Amino acid sequence: MSKGHGIRFDPRTKLLLLLLCALCAATAPSLVYEFGLVGMIALLGFFSGRRRYPLIGLAVYAVIFALTKAALSGSGTTFQTTLIAFLGLVHKVYPCGFLAGILISTTRVSEFLCAMHKIHAPKSLTIPMAVMLRYLPTIREDWGFIKDAMRLRDVSPSLKGLVAHPGMTVECLYVPLMMSASRAADELSIASVTRGIENPAPRTCLIQIRLGLADLLAAFCFAAYFIAGRFG
Amino acid sequence: MIKFKDVSFSYSGQTSGNLCHFDLTIEDGECVLFCGRSGCGKTTVTRLVNGLIPYFFPGELTGRVVVNGMDISQTPMYQIAGRVGSVFQNPRTQFFNVDTDSEIAFGIENEALPPQKLRQRVRRAAEDLRVQNLLGRNIFKLSGGEKQKIAFASVYAMNPDVYLLDEPSSNLDRSAIQDLKEHLRLIKRQGKTILIAEHRLHYLMDLADRIIYLEQGRIADIYMPAQFRQLPQEERENRGLRATDLKKVHPAVPLNTPHAPILELRDVSLFYKKQSILDGVSLSAAPGEVIGIIGHNGAGKTTFSRALCGLHRDCEGQFLWDGRPQDRKCRLKRSYMVMQDVNYELFAESVEAECSFGIRSPSPALVGATMEKLGLTPFRTRHPNTLSGGQKQRLAAAVSMICGKELLVFDEPTSGLDFDSMAQVAGLVQELAAMGKLIFIVTHDYEFVCRTCSRVLRFDGGRLCDDLAVSMETEDRLKKLFDL
Amino acid sequence: MKTQSYIQKKGLTAKDLVTIGIFTALLWLTMLIGGLPMAPNPITTFYMPLSAALLGGPVFLLLVAKVPKRGPIAIAGILIGIIWFATGMHWAMDLGYVLGGIIGDLAAGARKYRSVKLNILAFVFLSLGATGSYICYFADPVSWSSYMLQGGTAASYIETMNTTAQGWMPAVIILGTIAVSAFSGWVGSKLLKKQFEKAGITE
Repeated sequence: MSKGHGIRFDPRTKLLLLLLCALCAATAPSLVYEFGLVGMIALLGFFSGRRRYPLIGLAVYAVIFALTKAALSGSGTTFQTTLIAFLGLVHKVYPCGFLAGILISTTRVSEFLCAMHKIHAPKSLTIPMAVMLRYLPTIREDWGFIKDAMRLRDVSPSLKGLVAHPGMTVECLYVPLMMSASRAADELSIASVTRGIENPAPRTCLIQIRLGLADLLAAFCFAAYFIAGRFG
Repeated sequence: MIKFKDVSFSYSGQTSGNLCHFDLTIEDGECVLFCGRSGCGKTTVTRLVNGLIPYFFPGELTGRVVVNGMDISQTPMYQIAGRVGSVFQNPRTQFFNVDTDSEIAFGIENEALPPQKLRQRVRRAAEDLRVQNLLGRNIFKLSGGEKQKIAFASVYAMNPDVYLLDEPSSNLDRSAIQDLKEHLRLIKRQGKTILIAEHRLHYLMDLADRIIYLEQGRIADIYMPAQFRQLPQEERENRGLRATDLKKVHPAVPLNTPHAPILELRDVSLFYKKQSILDGVSLSAAPGEVIGIIGHNGAGKTTFSRALCGLHRDCEGQFLWDGRPQDRKCRLKRSYMVMQDVNYELFAESVEAECSFGIRSPSPALVGATMEKLGLTPFRTRHPNTLSGGQKQRLAAAVSMICGKELLVFDEPTSGLDFDSMAQVAGLVQELAAMGKLIFIVTHDYEFVCRTCSRVLRFDGGRLCDDLAVSMETEDRLKKLFDL
Repeated sequence: MKTQSYIQKKGLTAKDLVTIGIFTALLWLTMLIGGLPMAPNPITTFYMPLSAALLGGPVFLLLVAKVPKRGPIAIAGILIGIIWFATGMHWAMDLGYVLGGIIGDLAAGARKYRSVKLNILAFVFLSLGATGSYICYFADPVSWSSYMLQGGTAASYIETMNTTAQGWMPAVIILGTIAVSAFSGWVGSKLLKKQFEKAGITE
C-alpha cells in the first residue's frame, strides 16, 4: 500500500504524530498557527512519498481559511453562529484528518499490527483490531453479492421501500450480512486457533519496524511546534 | 502414530456427523483418505485429531485420541497446532492477514519464532511449494486457488508432523487441484502423515495408502487403492461416492424434446474496468436446454453469467429474447442466479416466508405447490440458515420458480457435495429443464456435466472457444475440453 | 465425559476475540455510513451522532448475544475510539466512544449481558460517545471559536454564541441520540427474536 518512494516512518511515530497534531489543533492560538500546522503536514506528506495529495490538502485548507475569514467579518445572525461553530470543528479536525490520510496510505496493515505488538498492547485489543482490518474489505465483497441477489429478487432498498415495507427492507439490509459475518467469525477462529493463536508466548513479527533518525526529527518538529504554540 | 481408542462423539444439538465406537491406528507417513456420505463423520474424525473436538465443538466425548504421544483432550490447542496442521475448504475465510507474506508467517509468528527464522521459513515454504510469484501480494486480489495455496503454505511453514485436510478441493478448478496434488506428493515424500476427508476422490487415487469408508459414524470398509478402483460403478454410487476415475465417466443425459431457440446473443462483449473480458460472443439457446459453462478461473465465466442475468453493467452487443432486444432491466426480471454461496440470497425467517419474500401479492397456493414439488414442505417453518447446502439450493430454485423466472444460472452448484446430493441437484436441474426453463451452469465438475448438461460452452482467452453438444458421440471432444 | 466447551470458559477466547473484531468492523461501518453524509453540512453536522447511531443497533445486539461476557462492549468502544482517532476525528469523540463502551459494558453486565433492555441501554451509552465534541463546543462556545478571531471579537457575536448554546440544540443532540440509538436497539431486538435466534447464530 505504500505510494511512491519516500521515507518510511515507524508506525509508532505515526501514532505519536497524530497525537501531537491533535494537541496542536486543540490548543491552537490562532488560525495562522493552524495554517502552519497544515503546511508542516503537507511537507511530511511530500517526504513520505505522496505528491498530489499534500498539494490538494493544502489548497483545500486555503479555501477553508479564506471562507472562515469571510464568515468572521459578517454580522451576528444565528446562521453565522452556526457556521462559525461548524468551521471551528472543521479547523480542529482538518489537520488530523489530513495527516491521517497520509499516514494510513503509507502504512501496511502488517506494520501497524507489529507496532501494536511492540507497544505491548494486550491480545484482547490486537486480535480484534487485526480481524477488523482484515474483514472490512470482505464486507464490501459480501455487500456486492447481496446487492446482486436483491436486484434479482426486485427488493432493492429505497426510501419508498422503507416506507412501504419497513420490515422487509430492514431484513434485506441486515440478515444476509449478519449471517455471513457469523459464519466468517466461526471459520476465521477455526483457521486461527488451529494455527496456534492461543499460544501464551508473545508473538513475533515477520515485518521488522525500527525507529530511525527521520522518526526522531519528525516527532521533534511537531513537539516543538506544539510547545511554541502553547507557550510562545 | 495416531491412535483412536474406542472413540464416540456426539455434537450437542446435532444428530449427524457423530462417531460411534471408532477404533483406528494410523502409522507415520501414511496417507489416509476418509470418504462417505455427508454426515458420515469424516470431518468429525479430522476434528478429533486437530483438537477442534473437544475445544471448539461442544459435545459428549468418550474414548481417547492420541497423536504422536499427545492425548488430544488433555493438550491445549496451540500445542497441538505445532504438530498437526489443518487446511480447510473455503479459501475466502481462512486467511487472517491482508498480505500473503504475513499470512504464510501467521502460524510461526504464533509460535514466537525469532524474526530471522521467520524469514527463512517463509522463503523455504514459498520455494518448496513454488508460490514465489504470490509473495508480497494483497490476498484479496488472489484467485480462490491461489488463496488455497497460501493457506497450505502457512501450514507448511509450521512444519507439522501431521497434515489434516478437510475437503480441500471443494472450491478449486482443475489446475488448482493439480497443484494441490503436487503439494501433497511433496509432503508425502517428506514422510508426513496425511489425513484427508474428501468427496472428490479422483485426484487422490495414487496418493492414498488406505481408503476408509465411513457410514453413520462407523468404519464400514477399509480399502487399498487398487481394490477401490475396481469397485463397480453401481456399488460405488450406492455408497454415495463420487467417481474414482473421471475417464470412465460417460455422458448420460436424457434427451428433451427440442424447442425453438428463444435466447440469442449477438456479438456480445463484456468489459470490467475498461478491460475487455469477453469479445464477440454469439450464440442461441432454446428453453429446456441445460448449458454448461466451463473454463479456467478468470476466463470470464462469472462475468458472463452475471451479464446474462442483467447484473453486469459494461456490456456491448445485443441480448434477444423471443426476437426482442432485452435491456438490463428486462434481463433482471427474467433471470435468476443461484450463487455459489446461496446464503447471500436468503432473507427471511422461514422457508415459507422466503418463498413469498418481496413478492407484491404472493399466492399461498403457488407457494405451497412449489414447496411440495421440491420437497421443502417438511421444512416450511425452519429458518433457511438451518438447512443443509443442498436444501438451500432447492429453496433458491423454489424462489425462482415462484418469481416466474425463465432463465436460471447455477454458479458452481456442486462444490462440496457428495454423490447423493450431486445426483439430487442433477435431478432438480432436469426437472427445471423439463418445465421449459433455460438453464446455464457454471461448473468444473465433469461428473455433474455428464449427468445434466445437453451442451457445453468453453471460454478461454477472452473468447467463446467451444460450443459442444454433449452426447456419446462427442465424449472424446468433451473429455479434451476438461483436460482429461 | 462431558467436555468443557468454549462458552463455559471464563474470559475471552480466541473465538470471542475474532467475533468481536468482525462485528466491531460492521458496527464502525454503520457509524461511518450513517454519520458521514451529515458531517460536511454546517447545519446538519450537529446531528451527526443521531445518524451515526441509526444503523448500529442490530449489529451491536447480535455481538452481545454471541459473546455474553465482560469485555466485548468495552473493546468495541475502545477499538472504535482508536479507529476514529487514527482517521483524525476530534479527540472528544474518540474518548467519548471509549468511555461509552466501558460504561455500556458495566450497564449490560448488571444482568450478565442477557437482558435485552440493558443491552439496548449499553448501545445508547456507546452512541452517546459521538456527542463528545459537541458537548465540548456547547460547554464553552466562545473559546471554541475565539482563537479564530485572534483577539478582535465582536460583542454581538459573543452574545449570539452564548444564547444559542443555552438554547435547545444541546438537548436535542443528546436526547435525539438517546432516542435514535434506543430505536435502533429496539429494531435489533426484533431482528434477534425473529431471525438470528431462530437461525441458531446466537449463544
